[in-house]
Amino acid sequence: MNAEEMTFEESLKTLEQLVSELENGNLDLDKALEIYERAIVLRERCRKILDECDRRVQKLIETSEGMKREDLISE
Amino acid sequence: MAETMTVTQLNTRVRSILSESPLVKDVWVTGELSNLKKYPSGHYYFTLKDSASEIRGVMFKNSRGRIDFEPEDNMKVTAFGRVDLYVERGAYQFIAETMQRSGVGDLYLAYEALKKKLEAEGLFDPARKRPLPLYPKVIGVVTSPAGAVIHDIITTSGRLFPADILLYPAQVQGEGAAESIVKGIKALNKEGADVLIVGRGGGSIEDLWAFNEEIVARAIAASEAPVISAVGHETDFTIADLAADVRAPTPTGAAELALRDRRELIRHLDTDMLRVNRALSGVLERMHYRFKAADSKLAPKRAEQRVSMHNMRLDELHSRMDSALRYRTEAVRRRFIRADSAVDARVQRMVENNGKDLRRFSERLESVNPMKVLDRGYALVTDEDGRAITSFGQVGAGTNIGITMKDGKAEAEVKKVEMRR
Repeated sequence: MNAEEMTFEESLKTLEQLVSELENGNLDLDKALEIYERAIVLRERCRKILDECDRRVQKLIETSEGMKREDLISE
Repeated sequence: MAETMTVTQLNTRVRSILSESPLVKDVWVTGELSNLKKYPSGHYYFTLKDSASEIRGVMFKNSRGRIDFEPEDNMKVTAFGRVDLYVERGAYQFIAETMQRSGVGDLYLAYEALKKKLEAEGLFDPARKRPLPLYPKVIGVVTSPAGAVIHDIITTSGRLFPADILLYPAQVQGEGAAESIVKGIKALNKEGADVLIVGRGGGSIEDLWAFNEEIVARAIAASEAPVISAVGHETDFTIADLAADVRAPTPTGAAELALRDRRELIRHLDTDMLRVNRALSGVLERMHYRFKAADSKLAPKRAEQRVSMHNMRLDELHSRMDSALRYRTEAVRRRFIRADSAVDARVQRMVENNGKDLRRFSERLESVNPMKVLDRGYALVTDEDGRAITSFGQVGAGTNIGITMKDGKAEAEVKKVEMRR
């Protein structure tokens, strides 16, 4: 799966798998580097989600056409 | 023509009817205590009520020694005493001479009955409790839009795993509150919230009652998203707490249960990367060793070059990542500072408005202050017990009276009484 489409949970889980693979396996250099680079990408993905700027704080309001969302903080 | 009297005279007359009537004198009355206020003077003021009516009551300090328990709100009691009228207010009240606990309040009984029923159904079974999602994208919150609960959750979640917060503005006390909470739970499930926080700030058992209603417990149990209850009270569990997947002691605690700590996660990632680095160094060292020991035909130089090229690439990846992360962290920080100051401004405005009200009230109070009247040459006449004499009917020839003037007191004896025409 492309890292950009992974959720935080998936990224973190994959990262952990890679870490143990790298720690346990008696890998050759090419394979080790491949895992390393993949781990870096996944870590970046996780950090990006953690530092996400566009967290939304909204409230539900009932309208004649059903539920609508409205920003809560900006007045 | 019918007789005309002052309000005081009327109240005094009603008072004497009440205090002389055997129907409301030396009676036992049973009800539930609420609005109990214990004054420094030692008097207890309270409301005694049943499901349909209420009466204000007072227990004076000297009667308090007759009871062997500490009265609390929501306590069901049987009180002995009489009805009296407080002339100045035209309000009647029950003067309790003594009081007995008559078991637990009706609300508590209802609570116990419902708890037993739902427990028997297995609604509180630990096996029913679902684990909370580790990294939810949307947290649904069912609470009052005005209370501290939503404010605390928003503030706290700022330092936690970033998730959207979606509030269902619910009514959390009074008639219709339970229905409103149920509606919120359903609506937020429909909107795809990953986890719900349902709660309100603390209050009396009556205030919290919606969270002891069966429909709320059932809606929590039926919720697709796991539910964290955050009903602000320390000791007693509401039925909603028992039905929820997790109970949080405070709104802040609820947010912390719903979302992992951001810094903790970053530390975790850093540890992972440390392990990756260490493992890779191991591989690289092994390679160096092998190249050095290997036959020269393997062209160790080229292999070593390859290794150092990879090393350079890793260094570059590291530094690119670091600067990107620094920028993002700063942006997040600024955003929360902005949100905070918007809330502050609103609170500031509320405080100012309350201040204005207070000033208006104190000006009005000042205008009815009796001491102001004394300044103008009037005097206050009281009986021997210090009660104000306002009618000729309260004195007779020979009655001792007190006269309070602006700057002193006098004692006098009434010589003659005459009614003004």
